[in-house]
Amino acid sequence: MHIPDGFLDTKTIIATSLFSLVGIGRALKVLKTQMSPRKVPLMGLAAAFIFVAQMINFPVIAGTSGHLLGAVLVAVLLGPSEGILVMSVVLIVQCFLFADGGVLALGANIFNMGIIAPMGGYALYRLVTAGIKADYGKYAAVAFAAWASTVLASVCCVGELAWSGTARWSIGFPAMTGIHMLIGIGEALITTFVLASIYKARPDLLPFKDAAGEKREARPLTGVLIYGSLMLMGLVLFVLPFASRWPDGLEKVAATLGFDAKALAQPMVPSPLPEYRVPGIGSLPLATALAGVIGAILIFVVSLVLARILTRKSNRERHAP
Amino acid sequence: MTTAVEIRDLHFQYTDDHRALQGVSLTIAEGENVGLIGPNGAGKSTLLLHLNGILPEGFKGRPSIFIYGIPVVKSNGPRIRRDVGLLFQDPDDQIFCPTVYEDVAFGPLQFGVPEKDVKDLVRRELMEVGLPDFEKRSPHHLSSGEKQRVCLAGILACRPRILALDEPTRGLDPRGKRQLKTWLRSVPSTKIIATHDLELVAEMCERTVVMDEGRIVADGPTLKILSDEDLMLAHGLEKPHILKHSHPHGG
Amino acid sequence: MRHDFLDRYSRIESPIHRLPAALKMGIALGAVLIVVLPPITALYPFLVTAGVLLVVIAVSRIPVGFMVRRILIFEPFIVVVAGLALLQPGGALKFGTIVVKSTLSLLTIVVLSNTTPFTELLNVFRRLHAPPVFLTMMALMCRYVFVLVDELQRMKRARLSRTFDHKKKKARSWRSLSMMIGQLFLRSTERAERIFAAMSARGWKS
Repeated sequence: MHIPDGFLDTKTIIATSLFSLVGIGRALKVLKTQMSPRKVPLMGLAAAFIFVAQMINFPVIAGTSGHLLGAVLVAVLLGPSEGILVMSVVLIVQCFLFADGGVLALGANIFNMGIIAPMGGYALYRLVTAGIKADYGKYAAVAFAAWASTVLASVCCVGELAWSGTARWSIGFPAMTGIHMLIGIGEALITTFVLASIYKARPDLLPFKDAAGEKREARPLTGVLIYGSLMLMGLVLFVLPFASRWPDGLEKVAATLGFDAKALAQPMVPSPLPEYRVPGIGSLPLATALAGVIGAILIFVVSLVLARILTRKSNRERHAP
Repeated sequence: MTTAVEIRDLHFQYTDDHRALQGVSLTIAEGENVGLIGPNGAGKSTLLLHLNGILPEGFKGRPSIFIYGIPVVKSNGPRIRRDVGLLFQDPDDQIFCPTVYEDVAFGPLQFGVPEKDVKDLVRRELMEVGLPDFEKRSPHHLSSGEKQRVCLAGILACRPRILALDEPTRGLDPRGKRQLKTWLRSVPSTKIIATHDLELVAEMCERTVVMDEGRIVADGPTLKILSDEDLMLAHGLEKPHILKHSHPHGG
Repeated sequence: MRHDFLDRYSRIESPIHRLPAALKMGIALGAVLIVVLPPITALYPFLVTAGVLLVVIAVSRIPVGFMVRRILIFEPFIVVVAGLALLQPGGALKFGTIVVKSTLSLLTIVVLSNTTPFTELLNVFRRLHAPPVFLTMMALMCRYVFVLVDELQRMKRARLSRTFDHKKKKARSWRSLSMMIGQLFLRSTERAERIFAAMSARGWKS
């Protein structure tokens, strides 16, 4: 999802860069007040870790492979502000060393994958864990947050492309976000599996409820709320202007793509919607958005199921002789 | 004779209830070469980490360690770290900068040496350890012997008066070991060497301290300690080959 | 994995390599700007930049095949996403514009990263007063990426040595890959502790 140079126009570059600077600045300030010098080598190694983890091929079908983004992984393991800094560093190095993502587009890439993904994911993680107190709730929260982080980042990405006039929202949104709803499943699975294996070896490293119970203080929600608003602002700026412009002249293209987009948007369940147009509503992007909501609920439910399986399994292992 | 290191009844416990040091007392004079031996888990590395104040974290309570008479407490941190150069077990942990130059320059820069002097300082230190022109090299491409020497250069650049070495010969091939020994002999600082390599101790250290389960169980002239087979076996050690065929007192 | 996969040719000898890093970075950024900002119809910026790049590549002795391969990694992505532009009135021009602009920018950065060791770029960032936390993190990242890759390699080999079932089930391989990633994280955090001790031992003031 790294946007190369040449895709974004000046105003988008400036806006995203500003947002990213604010986000990074805030993260730096938060960490400074915590005054923990040992965090720096930890974050440095985490950046190296994420970089390496992103390179690992997870086989999907017929030679294609999936990859981990790791934003939620890092945010849950180290903290949201730490997550922002780690992802930003990874993106900067990837940009200048690999040319993965443009230099002028760095602001947008950091915003999408270095701020929205970790922060949005983390906020959802906190919301879900606040709601479900049981152990399996943490895994479900992580899985859902990881999926959501991928989708949210892709939404912002398409928003930026649309705002720059590079791609029309009506096509870009269904295509890109649709695909990322699928990719997000991989992210959810990998993130949850990784966290489960870490928890097994070193439960103290995770902000889950541990034996002592008191040790891990919840991070203050105010920071989460501030970032949440920043995120919402970004989404509003990039997404809403297009949400209201339903395409009229693209029926034919939509028809060709309609079946595909629908299939992408309903990955796991045979579609209950008989045709690409939701009755009563007209357009493809809206259908995608609705599919997104339905997909999100589905993913959430599946995350819960997966989490229950994982916790039951680990409980069994723990009580095994 | 000046006392370089004085440790008085040092206790230390890691957070997971593991009592690593239980009442260690030790005095080391300036210029001595002391070997610190014992089985795994004896507390050797933990003790070394106390010498320059990395442990305990927080420096609570009365100080138990004095370096040249200065108590090892947080406020004395920078000074202590200049006086005590610590060589860690894994060179990959110790060389944390992306180039050799930056790594050797790290200590001096932190201690306030002006940048314009650092370049010459680094060049001198690298020559000293036999790695001329290694400045631009990436640590990852070095052999373990070369990494070792970069670590040493980095420590020496701070001109410490005491050298504490944790398993310096681990992972070195015979040539590397030879080079290290030659080099160690040429350095006049007080040395404390924690190691499993008893041959090294026999060659380099006139005094040996044996640790086991967080306590000092023996302290004396190296030959005497290492030749005491019962003592060695009792603490998970073995008389080194180098002594097996020599009888210092004949018979 | 090759240890120099990051910037393989950044340390070879050439007149370009000898130029100061700040200059190269400034020129690269300038090149990206003049490629991205003007409309495609103003042909000169693109032709000039392309020309300069070709000259620089030739003088810098970086193998052309290598350059081409590096660009080809990203071209498919560029073409596909730019393809979205095709589905618009006047899309063909837009498509062409985007492909030219992003390919030229890509090439610029690839040349920059292969004529300048990353540590020198970090120095430039330092002189530009980038936050110290960032600088330390980036330096540590560059230093330890290779170490982690090696550790991963060792884990993979260890796993292979104990795998007798060659009908690799996807689910199981996802599980075991994830476990390796988990292991890698644990080792990284433990190593970070030791590095912190080593940095403190040499007087690090954060």
